Amino acid sequence: MVIVDLQHVTYRYPMTEQSALEDVSLHIEEGEFVAVIGPNGAGKSTLCYTVAGFIPHFFKGELEGTVEVAGVESRQASLEQRVRSVGLVFQNPFNQISGAKYTVFEEIAFGLENLGVSRAEMPARVEQVMALTGITDLAERSPYALSGGQQQRVALASILVMEPKVLVLDEPTSQLDPVGTREVFGVIRNMALRGMTVLMVEHKLEWVAAFADRVIALENGRILAEGTPAEVLTDERLLEHHFGFSRYTLAAREGRKEALWPPDRRLPVTLDEAETGFREGLRRP
Amino acid sequence: MRERLSFYIQRHSPIHRLNPFTKLTLAFALVLISFFSPWYWTALCLILLVIFPLAIIGRVGREFFAAALRLLVPVTGFIFLMQSLFLPGGETVLFRFWFLRVTLESVARAFLISMRIFGMVSSFILFLLTTHPSELMTDLTRRGLPGTVAYVIISTLQILPQMQAKAQTIIAAQRSRGLAVEGSFIRRVRALVPLVGPLVFGSLVEVEERAIAIEARAFSATGPKTSYREIDDTPFDRTVRWLMVALVVLSLAARFFG
Repeated sequence: MVIVDLQHVTYRYPMTEQSALEDVSLHIEEGEFVAVIGPNGAGKSTLCYTVAGFIPHFFKGELEGTVEVAGVESRQASLEQRVRSVGLVFQNPFNQISGAKYTVFEEIAFGLENLGVSRAEMPARVEQVMALTGITDLAERSPYALSGGQQQRVALASILVMEPKVLVLDEPTSQLDPVGTREVFGVIRNMALRGMTVLMVEHKLEWVAAFADRVIALENGRILAEGTPAEVLTDERLLEHHFGFSRYTLAAREGRKEALWPPDRRLPVTLDEAETGFREGLRRP
Repeated sequence: MRERLSFYIQRHSPIHRLNPFTKLTLAFALVLISFFSPWYWTALCLILLVIFPLAIIGRVGREFFAAALRLLVPVTGFIFLMQSLFLPGGETVLFRFWFLRVTLESVARAFLISMRIFGMVSSFILFLLTTHPSELMTDLTRRGLPGTVAYVIISTLQILPQMQAKAQTIIAAQRSRGLAVEGSFIRRVRALVPLVGPLVFGSLVEVEERAIAIEARAFSATGPKTSYREIDDTPFDRTVRWLMVALVVLSLAARFFG
């Protein structure tokens, strides 16, 4: 079942000349993991805001085409409907802390309070997402006295507790150190395994390759390439448009010139694929 | 990062258990009574017989007296000195010094003013020490304060220390580029410019992100909201509040009709 359906979406921010999105069509199936890559200014965040309904409800400007999430046209959707269908997590963990609460537990319950969920229901739901995101032991801490990785997991938990149908992640690890990045990706992997529909903008191509069912390369507000990670992440057009390749793909691409990589084998996108390919290449006479 | 973001000190005491609105009423009532009451010693008596014992019952005695000593004694001492020296009028001259003339009346008046100020500030210190800001806001929201107002107050309280930390980072960054932040007054003022720019503009950019973040959690949802924190409001609380109102009215009446 299609849960996110964008048809010919064109959007321009107020007071700008150029479209941030230009004729973008996107369909996401329930349970699918879609990754979006692209250089700065390609329209990745704009795409996230559009799917989450912040365009046109928070950002004004001109939106053409149709955006349907969980069967509801986003122009007609109320805030409650939008929040219950799409959860949005973005880069800066610090700015996602509401500032209204003094403990992590209450910070997570903030969304439930706003949705009018009964008080009796809260503890179970909050504890469940804290366990899911591995922050149970932080429950009584101040949300401000945490590391970036912990804060980002609090931000994730605060969204997940409202049980959205789709999770939109806008570069969720770009401001985190390697430890924080692993922690957050661990949670995202968990969610994906549980069948959550995810749309994730991410620069770290190795992680994109490990998670995504489908990759979309955006440039100048248009979809440049779309397909499986193996197809898109090894597409030569990515190099021409300065997206770059992951180190595994690059290494194999260089290796192919030196006859270290089997010529009939497609370029790898993960460590495992790279290892198998190079072993095979080295075994050849 | 600092864990402690407010004056609040978590202890188990009868004062902590009072409803936050009761404590707020109590703090305001103490101030109003000490200002309205026609009796000269009211403020002093309230300080010694009500505020100090409450601080001890509230088990925040050490913090309360530390704050009083560091903040209140110097401030009220200064006010007392200035008022005694410069309040005009009075017949009974205690001593003359240069062009100053200190009279018994000015000293008495200065004492009254400084005791009122001491009482006012100390009752609010006690209030802040024993009241969790979240509980106060939750309770006030339940009593009809708009949610947005409560959010603005409480998030400002939380974000101020963060802004302070950020200002420190910016100062350190600018100094490492050779900005002189010490020296004459003019130089210090000039050094503010490269600090305020990044701090203010940086915060303005963050406001948009923060707005999106709280909207993503249904902040401006129109349906009825619930609250995880439950705040007790006992018959005892209501009695205390009405008693306070009565006392304020009485002291007002005593002033005008006594």
